[in-house]
Amino acid sequence: MKFIPTASQTVGPFFSIGLAPLSQQEPEAPESSKDKITIRGTLCDADRSPIPDALLEFWGAKEFARVPTSEDGTFVVSPVLPAAQYFDILIFMRGLMKPVYTRLFLGERDAALSDPILKLVPSERIATLFAATDGSPNHFVWNVVMQGENETVFFEF
Amino acid sequence: MNSAEKKDIPLASQPPYLCPAYVSSRKRAPSKPLILIQGLLASANGPVFGHETIQPGDSDLTRQHHGEPLGERIIVTGKVQDDDGHPVRGALIEIWQANAAGRYKHKNDNHAAPLDPNFSGCGRVLTDDNGQYSFVTIKPGAYPWKNHENAWRPAHIHFSLFGAGLLSRLVTQMYFPGDPLLPFDPMFTSIPDENARLRLISSFDWPTTKPEHALGYRFDIILRGSRSTPMDPNHL
Repeated sequence: MKFIPTASQTVGPFFSIGLAPLSQQEPEAPESSKDKITIRGTLCDADRSPIPDALLEFWGAKEFARVPTSEDGTFVVSPVLPAAQYFDILIFMRGLMKPVYTRLFLGERDAALSDPILKLVPSERIATLFAATDGSPNHFVWNVVMQGENETVFFEF
Repeated sequence: MNSAEKKDIPLASQPPYLCPAYVSSRKRAPSKPLILIQGLLASANGPVFGHETIQPGDSDLTRQHHGEPLGERIIVTGKVQDDDGHPVRGALIEIWQANAAGRYKHKNDNHAAPLDPNFSGCGRVLTDDNGQYSFVTIKPGAYPWKNHENAWRPAHIHFSLFGAGLLSRLVTQMYFPGDPLLPFDPMFTSIPDENARLRLISSFDWPTTKPEHALGYRFDIILRGSRSTPMDPNHL
């Protein structure tokens, strides 16, 4: 490496002005495509207060989806499920000078346990990286705790 | 070798998560140690945004309405390179900013400064084959925020960039030279290394300044490359 990467700064509270065009505004009906799944959840802070001004990016090998949280700190996104059955996720928000990075597993837990990244996670924290199913096929629930008890596992690379 | 030396980005060139002077970070910054996965991330994954992403006129924020916005017209140009110095071609840049009075066109901005019906404050562009980009916009105003007593943000333009993949993703802010608010801004000063901090300040640029039209400012950006250094096996 010859050059030092430019420093990160927060997205601030008004990122929707610039970042709305590539973001999902309304969840698509997952029935519209058999490959699409729905992931919904809530982001909260150390006080368990919902975070209404966060932006989540879901990165697959080819798949990409971006969605902001609503006033109540919830999000709903309808991406195509990657073949690898997980998404790498970046979360931006006011209060974070750089995004947090995590990985959300959407497949069978036993199959995911061979993932090299998951092997580095203390067993008592692994559950934060798995989506729950809400009973309907292809519908997942994943909540994010930024700080404190049951804090979501975040990675650095 | 300690863990700081193993990382390929000097720690001080990036802000930490917890920046106590930036009040919003206190309850949102992770408190548990991050898990280092250097070398374990699949490289260069992610979306490719092509020319279909951009509409004509997206890079000129002064011509998105019937009339021209108020304020000082500026031309912002720069080069996007990776950390080896190679130009990053076709990188999607999205920008957003306040108007000349320091007001964002956003329902949650209640600063008592006027909105400008001729300014939305949103722009997009792809870098060319040399990694160059160019926007025409107006110089944003400073504005108050409630972080602390008499807190004011220095004038800035938000930049979002997609490079070669997840490792290259960057959101930052471009500042203006000579801004008296910079030393008092908890966001700007959250970057420990002074040189890294100063690189967020654009420079006034005669070559892109157009006579009788607009001042030029230059803001070059370095994205982390798509490679990630293999993890030291002794660390596992």
